[in-house]
Amino acid sequence: MEASTVLQSLISGLTLGCIYAALGLGLFVVYGVTRVLNLAQGEFVMLGGMLTVSFCSMGVPLLGAIILAVIVTIISGAALYVLVIKPARNASGSTLAFLTVGFAYAIEGITLLVWGWEYHSLTNFLGSSSIHLWGATIFGQAPWVVGMTVLMVVGLYLFFGRTMVGKALRACADEPLGARSVGISVEKMALLSFVLAAGLGAVAGATITPLTMTAYNVGVPLTIKGLLAAFLGGIHRAEGVIVGGLLVGFAEALSAGLMPTGYHDAIALGLLLVVFLARPQGLLPARGEAG
Amino acid sequence: MRSVLAVARAGHGPLIEYRAVSVSYGELLAVNNVSFSVERGEILCVIGPNGAGKTTLLRMTSGLLRPTSGEIWFDGLRVDRMQAHRIAALGTTQVFQDIQLFENMSVLDNVMAGAHGWTDTGFVGASLRVASAIDEERWMRRAAIQQLSALGLAGVLHEYPEELSWGEQKLVGLARALLCRPILLLLDEPYGGLDTEEIDRLSRTLRALKNEGMTILMVEHLTDIVMDVADRVVVLHYGEKLAEGTPDAIREDERVIATYLGD
Amino acid sequence: MSPIVNRAKERAARLVPMPRVPRAALILLAVVAVLPLIGSAYLMSILIKVGLHAVIGMGLILLTGLAGQVSLGQGVFYGTGAYVSALLCLRFGISPWLAMPLAAAASGLLAAPIGRAILRLRGIIVAGVTLTVNLIFFYLVVSVSDLTGGATGLSQIPRFEYPKVVSYTTFIFYAVWLLAVLCLILTTNLASSRVGRALKSVNVLGHGTEDTPQVLGIDVMHFKVAAYVGAAVFAGVAGSVYAHHISVIEPHTFSVQTSVLVAIMVVLGGVTNPWGAIVGSALIVGLTELLREVAPIVLGGPTGSYELVAYGVVLVLTLLFLPSGLCSLPARIEQWRRGRRL
Repeated sequence: MEASTVLQSLISGLTLGCIYAALGLGLFVVYGVTRVLNLAQGEFVMLGGMLTVSFCSMGVPLLGAIILAVIVTIISGAALYVLVIKPARNASGSTLAFLTVGFAYAIEGITLLVWGWEYHSLTNFLGSSSIHLWGATIFGQAPWVVGMTVLMVVGLYLFFGRTMVGKALRACADEPLGARSVGISVEKMALLSFVLAAGLGAVAGATITPLTMTAYNVGVPLTIKGLLAAFLGGIHRAEGVIVGGLLVGFAEALSAGLMPTGYHDAIALGLLLVVFLARPQGLLPARGEAG
Repeated sequence: MRSVLAVARAGHGPLIEYRAVSVSYGELLAVNNVSFSVERGEILCVIGPNGAGKTTLLRMTSGLLRPTSGEIWFDGLRVDRMQAHRIAALGTTQVFQDIQLFENMSVLDNVMAGAHGWTDTGFVGASLRVASAIDEERWMRRAAIQQLSALGLAGVLHEYPEELSWGEQKLVGLARALLCRPILLLLDEPYGGLDTEEIDRLSRTLRALKNEGMTILMVEHLTDIVMDVADRVVVLHYGEKLAEGTPDAIREDERVIATYLGD
Repeated sequence: MSPIVNRAKERAARLVPMPRVPRAALILLAVVAVLPLIGSAYLMSILIKVGLHAVIGMGLILLTGLAGQVSLGQGVFYGTGAYVSALLCLRFGISPWLAMPLAAAASGLLAAPIGRAILRLRGIIVAGVTLTVNLIFFYLVVSVSDLTGGATGLSQIPRFEYPKVVSYTTFIFYAVWLLAVLCLILTTNLASSRVGRALKSVNVLGHGTEDTPQVLGIDVMHFKVAAYVGAAVFAGVAGSVYAHHISVIEPHTFSVQTSVLVAIMVVLGGVTNPWGAIVGSALIVGLTELLREVAPIVLGGPTGSYELVAYGVVLVLTLLFLPSGLCSLPARIEQWRRGRRL
């Protein structure tokens, strides 16, 4: 086993881990504030990628395309809240989750209608296709993915911790009745959480498309990977989601790079499953009492 | 099915014993070193202002919460580390402050659920409807209807909880608990939200249950009402036991007057 | 007669099953009996699909409708049933009739530890966890390719031995629908029994806590896991029948998509009503066939797009306006008419 192989696996693991963490964060934002399990999160990521590709092919420069894609995705996130979630806001958590599933199906179908079957891709953000580092080959897009996730985490940290709006969101998550009595509009905060999650998803989607390509049906596996990251680490804390994402990423990459082919997936996944079942509430302990 | 442990019971001595029981939530000490006993066949009321730790004490007794330190004994068996449903099988049940009727069943079904511990039809027997399952169902139904009629609720058998008034819900909750045929009945603020007539009826019902041999442990903050029904009273204040004794003794206890009854 | 024999006879008499059979179930059976004589083979194969999904769905009636635990991962047990049944026949040469109960048992045995682990969690999180477990299972099955045939799956799975008076498809049709009606009867009886009440008491999806059943002596964990295992067994049986019906199974069939779709079927039909499993399954399968075959011809566009949109729109509309599912429509209409009369 060469050092460069290990290094390559570690870097792949980091990259994958960041992708999963970003997915999980989108889920975390919505669940934390509204207690709704948004199973349409992966669709936001997919839309971010597809729309960026389309705008780019229309001649819009990359940055502009990404911004436009984020805007359109955010609108769809708002639509999800206003059209689907808000009318049913007193329904059970189960009904709400199924409503997001319905929305996800609709988005997937419309995407298929508009864009068709094919996979689409984007060139790496800086053009170069790969970087060589100490004998390991890294996809050129990898630093952008890691960078995006870092920015996302820092941004969310600052947002929730320092801004008034962020604090209001947190208040809703921790104590909805108390928040309402202080004058915070829980409905507006719920809308904001969906919008934020959509935006995060779109940015993530645009960033990972050069690496993983995009198509109408990538939403579902992305949602599930995000769920895995979120649940493995613990969806009640952002740190849990990030840890979970990185864990899944590393497990996937290390097993692919270092273990004999054929069973590597099974081993990695089997291990993850065992860990998961041993502690289904998440590896990191919830803050204070039971989450 | 009534627990095999029931055989090991003492049958004499106090029914419940709290020995130096404490519960802490992080920094906060909700219950602090509380010790007292509940004698068989008595109605004991735990009173105190809100936040005094009364509900916590009741939840611990039912096994829904573990004390951080201390022991709880029920009929000669140590129960503070037992699972809630096993403690229930020993012969106790609780009616919560918000009753918590099962909203997805009718009143009759709610009350029949109380007889769960006395029956043992399983998945196979129930899905095939074997003769023993049919018999048990019939028995449960009869017992439930009887209980509901005794409480004056014969007219609402097939209604759903959301259609009932608060007073009716409370009575259904009591009926459900009584179908467990408990030897110890735990009540959390049973008088909350009742009008004078309902209060009267509840007090009479509780006294009748006591006369049949039931032990009742209740928690209340409506002190005046409770003084009529209780045989003995325990006063909790900020999680600590302030005083214990007959209602008359408590009424005259200086500490209690100073901190609680005074206002 | 000796008292011992008398007592034994008494005991046996108490075990005689007397399930309540809804009249509608008998009507359904009558229709089923007649259908192959007038329907095409195509219709039969569609109805077999409806029946199989209805059986999986009935497991969900127990688990989700009664006990309130949402599972988006029944595909794990559908797949286990199919693969175990197929492998037992392919590797050990046993008869599918024997393999089927073994496969169902395998599904149940698999469900017990998984259920014990994940049902400690409460709330909608359980749904996400089942989804995740399903995905992991799916990848596991694909990667253990020596055993499972990997992505290509297993083929040449033997058929049931059956009386050759009808075609195999017709036989499977009868078998599936007899199974579906049997499950309907069992579930209906279970729902109105002591066990049904215990399961419903654990259902905290509305408002409610698990404390209440606990203090009534109901072992909440036991019933949750039992419902999960029951649902797994239903799915396992369906999977086994499917394997011997089509004779080719691929991992794709037991993917997350199938699990979510089955859950949607039950929700659409009415999650607390065993008929909901049949109604929901018929709706989704029917809609899928219609949109897959007809819509692209009429409207153009890629196959698959219309049914996706349809699932989404139908699901959202139903949940917003008929949250208790289509089976609650008669009751709702009755309520509305009563309201108008006042």
